Amino acid sequence: MLTKTDHSGDCSVTPTLTRRGFFKMGGALMVSFTFPGLSAIAGEVQPASATSQLASWLEIRQDNTILVRTGRTEIGTGMSAYYAQVIAEELNVQPEAITLIMGDTDKTPDGGYSAGFLVGAANLRKVGAYTYQALLGLAAEKLRVPAATLTVTDGMVSGGGKSIRYGELVQDQQLDLKIPVSGAPPKVDPTSWNGIAGLDGLTVLGDPPTKPMSQYKVVGKSHPMPGTPGKVTGKTQWSCDVTLPGMLHARLVRPATLGSTLISVGTLDKTRFPNAQVITKQNLVAVLSPNEWEAASAARAVASSTKWSEWSGLPGSENLTQALRDYKWVTPSESKGNAADVAAALGRASKTLSATYEQPYIKHAPIGPFVAAADVRSDGAVTVWTHSANSQGLRAQIANTLSTPIEKVVVRWLDHAGQFGRTTFGGDGAEGDAAILSQLSGKPVRVQWTLQEDLAWSASSPGWVEDISCSLDDHGCVTALRSAFYSAQSNDARIVGALLAGMPCSQPKPGNWIATEWPYDKIQCRLEQVYGMPNLGADSQAPGLRGLIMRTPGQRQQNFALESLINEAAACAGIDPIQFRLLHTTDQRLIDIIHATAKAAAWEPRPSPHPGARRTGTEPVTGRGVDIMVRQNSYWMGIAEVAVTPDTGLVQVAKFTIGLDCGKIINPRQLERCMKSGVVMGVSEALKEEVTFDKGKITSTSWSRYKILTMAEMPEIKVVQISRDDKGFGGGSEAANAICTPAVAAAFFDATGVHARRIPLTPAYVTTLLKG
Amino acid sequence: MADPLSLSVNGVQHPVSASPDTPLLYVLRNELRLSGPRLGCGIAQCGACAVLVDGAEVRSCIAPISSAVGKQVTTIEGLPQVWAKKKGLTESDAARTLHPVQQAWIDEQVPQCGYCQSGMIIAAVELLDKNPNPTVVQIKDAFTNKPPSPHLCRCGTYAAIIEAVQLAAKTMSA
Repeated sequence: MLTKTDHSGDCSVTPTLTRRGFFKMGGALMVSFTFPGLSAIAGEVQPASATSQLASWLEIRQDNTILVRTGRTEIGTGMSAYYAQVIAEELNVQPEAITLIMGDTDKTPDGGYSAGFLVGAANLRKVGAYTYQALLGLAAEKLRVPAATLTVTDGMVSGGGKSIRYGELVQDQQLDLKIPVSGAPPKVDPTSWNGIAGLDGLTVLGDPPTKPMSQYKVVGKSHPMPGTPGKVTGKTQWSCDVTLPGMLHARLVRPATLGSTLISVGTLDKTRFPNAQVITKQNLVAVLSPNEWEAASAARAVASSTKWSEWSGLPGSENLTQALRDYKWVTPSESKGNAADVAAALGRASKTLSATYEQPYIKHAPIGPFVAAADVRSDGAVTVWTHSANSQGLRAQIANTLSTPIEKVVVRWLDHAGQFGRTTFGGDGAEGDAAILSQLSGKPVRVQWTLQEDLAWSASSPGWVEDISCSLDDHGCVTALRSAFYSAQSNDARIVGALLAGMPCSQPKPGNWIATEWPYDKIQCRLEQVYGMPNLGADSQAPGLRGLIMRTPGQRQQNFALESLINEAAACAGIDPIQFRLLHTTDQRLIDIIHATAKAAAWEPRPSPHPGARRTGTEPVTGRGVDIMVRQNSYWMGIAEVAVTPDTGLVQVAKFTIGLDCGKIINPRQLERCMKSGVVMGVSEALKEEVTFDKGKITSTSWSRYKILTMAEMPEIKVVQISRDDKGFGGGSEAANAICTPAVAAAFFDATGVHARRIPLTPAYVTTLLKG
Repeated sequence: MADPLSLSVNGVQHPVSASPDTPLLYVLRNELRLSGPRLGCGIAQCGACAVLVDGAEVRSCIAPISSAVGKQVTTIEGLPQVWAKKKGLTESDAARTLHPVQQAWIDEQVPQCGYCQSGMIIAAVELLDKNPNPTVVQIKDAFTNKPPSPHLCRCGTYAAIIEAVQLAAKTMSA
C-alpha cells in the first residue's frame, strides 16, 4: 500500500490507493470502487459477479488525458458536458481534457437511470474529490512537500517552487484507487413498485473534501456540448446506424387492437419478397429480411392478410374522465395530512373554492421511433444496442425476458431521439423485440418501429382527474387545502415484445405517488391524496394502455391542479396572482425568483380577469397568467401571455417568461437552451397534445393526429436565471415543460373570464367552453 | 434484372442495387452508409429525412430513388463541399471548412438530442439559398408552412434554430 487517506474516520468509507506494478508503457491511475464493510450496510450486500467486471470509473493517464466512465447517458439535455465540468472542477483540469464513456454496461459502472442527474453529479463530484486527494498525495511524495501546500492549475501540481503534471505522477505505473460505494444492481423484482429494483446505480460513500462552489472556475461557464459537431456533420453514430455481420432487418406486424390474439398469419409472397421470412411467437409477428426495405414492404403485405381477434376493453378517449370516475377507488396510494383537521377547517370557512382539473393521455413522442439491434448467440451471450436511458435496467429486463443470467447480457448505448422519461425503467422499446427475434432466428436482428406503431404501442403518460378545494379567510388567505388525484399507474415498463410473445416480463404494481414538493409554507393545513389504478383497459387478455412516467412525472399533473386552484383563489380574493403567492410563502429563494421573473416580464399588478375580458367576438382578446413550482432543489416561475380568439377558439401563446433558481448553475448557455426548449414542450401540452383512442386501440398514430407545437406556434421566450453558490445543484431542465400549463390556463382566464380546467386548450374545447 | 440505377450523391456517382421504387432514404443509409438523413415518420410529416435534390428539399423517406436519377443529391455530409465549391476554396481550406449553416448550428449550440437536426440544417440551407436574409417571421414560415409538412423538433430547439439561421445568413453574406 502506497498511501492511505482517511477523511471520515469511518473505516467503512476509506479510499485506498494501491500500486499494482510498473509499466513501461501507458501508466495510469485507475479509479474503481469497492463495497466496504458490507455487514455494516444492511441489505446492500453485493454479489461480486455483478460489478467486478469493470476496470475503472476514472482513469488519469500519463499523456494527461482523463477518461471518465458513467453508466448514465446523454438524453439531449447536456449531461455529457455537465458531468465533464463537474469532475474537471474537482480535479482542477479543463473539461476538454476529459473523454466521457457513457452507458455501455461492459465499460461503465452502474450509473442508474439517466433522469437522476443530481445523484449522478453528486457521485462524480465525490469521485473527483477522492481522486484529487490521491493525486495530491502522490505529488507530495514526489515533490517532497506537504500536500497541504500544493496548488493545482489545469492538471499541473505546484509547491515548494516545483511543478509536476498529473500525467507524470502516474508515468510507467499502474495505480489503483478504490473508493467506497453502496448500491444494488438492477434486477427484475416482483415486489418492487415498477417491477424492477436497483434503479439508482452506485452511490459513492464518504465525505471527501469537495471544492466550495464559490471557488468554481469550470462549473458555471458555458462550455460547449461535446457531441454537437458530430451531430451537425453526420459523424455521430446513432443507435439506428448499428449494422452487424449477417444482420436481419425486422418490422413488426402488430395486432389490430391492444388485446387482439393471432388467428392466422398473412401470406408472404416469396416471388415478391424472396429474401424475407416471417417469425411468429404467440402474438409477436415479425417479417425479417437482410434488406430493410424488403422487410418493411413485406411486413405491410403480410399485415394486410393477417387475422386477429377483436378486443374492445377501452372506454374511448372521450369517456376517459367518466372511466376514472367509475373506477372503484378504495384507498389512496399515498396520503399526506390530517383529514379531520382539513375537513373541519373547510367546514367552518366563510369562503371555499372547489374545482376539478383534468388532462388526457399524452405521449413522449420522440421524432425517431424506437429502434434497437440485438445479437443473441447460441452460447447464451446477448448484446443489445440501444438508446435506453437506463442501460443496466434494460440489461436486467432483457436477462429476465430471455431467462439468461444477467452476467451474459451486455447493453451498448448510442445517441438517438430524446425520449423524455419513457425508458427510465429500462423497459418498453424495440430492444425486447430485437432480442427475442435474434434468439429465434439465430442471427443478429435490428428492429425499427414505425411512427404509427410507436404512437400506438409505446407506453403513454396517463390521463388524470384531480379534485381540489380550499378555504379562504377574510383577508383572502388560504386556510386549508384538500386534493385527490386519480389516474392510472405510470410505471409500466414491461417489454412489449415479451408481452406479445408470452415471455417473462417485469411486473409493475398499480399505484401513484404525491409528487408535489409543497411550495407554500404558510398553507399548513392540507390533505393530499393520490390514487392509482391498473392500466386503463387492463384485463386477463390485455395489458391495456400501458402507462409510463414522462418528463416531470406526477408533479407536472399535480402542479397544474394546485397552481390552477391558487390562481382561482387569487381571483376569488381579488388579489394580484403574484402578490397572492407572496402572501403564502416565506421561502426567500421562491420570493427572489418570483420578483426576478415578474420584473423581466414587466408585470403590472392587478387581479384577474382583465377588465376587458370577454368570451365572444372575432377579435383576439389578451391575458396573462402565472405559476410556480419547487422541484429537486430548484425554484421555477412561469408567466404566460396569450391571445384568444373567442369565436374560433384559437389560443396563441405570444410570450412566455420562465425563471429558475437551480442552485449552482453548471452551464448557463445550455441551461438557457433547455429552458426555452422545455417551454416549447410545455406550450405544446397546454395547447395541442392528446392521445385519442377508441374501444380497442390508440387512434392518434401520426403527426397529423398527435399534434405537437410547430416553430410558427412557438412564443417569444424570455429566460431568467439565478445561480447560487451556497445551495448545491438543483434540477435544471426537466420541469421547464411543467411550468407552462398552469400559466397558460391562467392567462386564458385572464383574457376571457372563463376558467380552463382541462388541457389541451384546443379550438374545439375552447369554443365549447366559451359558449358555456 | 434491369441495369442498376446510378445516383449522384454528394458529388460522387454511385451505382445502387435497390429497385427503382425504393425510397431514397433506405439507399442513402443502407447502401451508401450515410447516417445524416434519418427515419422519422416515414410518411413525410416530420422532416428528419430531408435531403437536397438539385438544391430543393426532398423528404427521402417517400421519394423513390427513380425520382433522383440524373439529379444531384446532397446530405449534410456533402454540405461542406457545396460551400467550398460555391466559394472556390482551395482543397486544404475546404477540408477544414464547414458549411456556414453547420458552423452556425455548432456556434449557436442548436442540437439537444439532435435527431431532427440534419433535416433542419437541410431546410435552412434551402431557405438561405432562396432568401439570403430572412426575417424571423419568414424563418418560422419556412420551417412550418412549406409543404409537405412542418419540420418538427420534440426537444423544442426552435428558438436556437432561428438564431442559427440568422447567424448563418450573416456569415454567408459577409
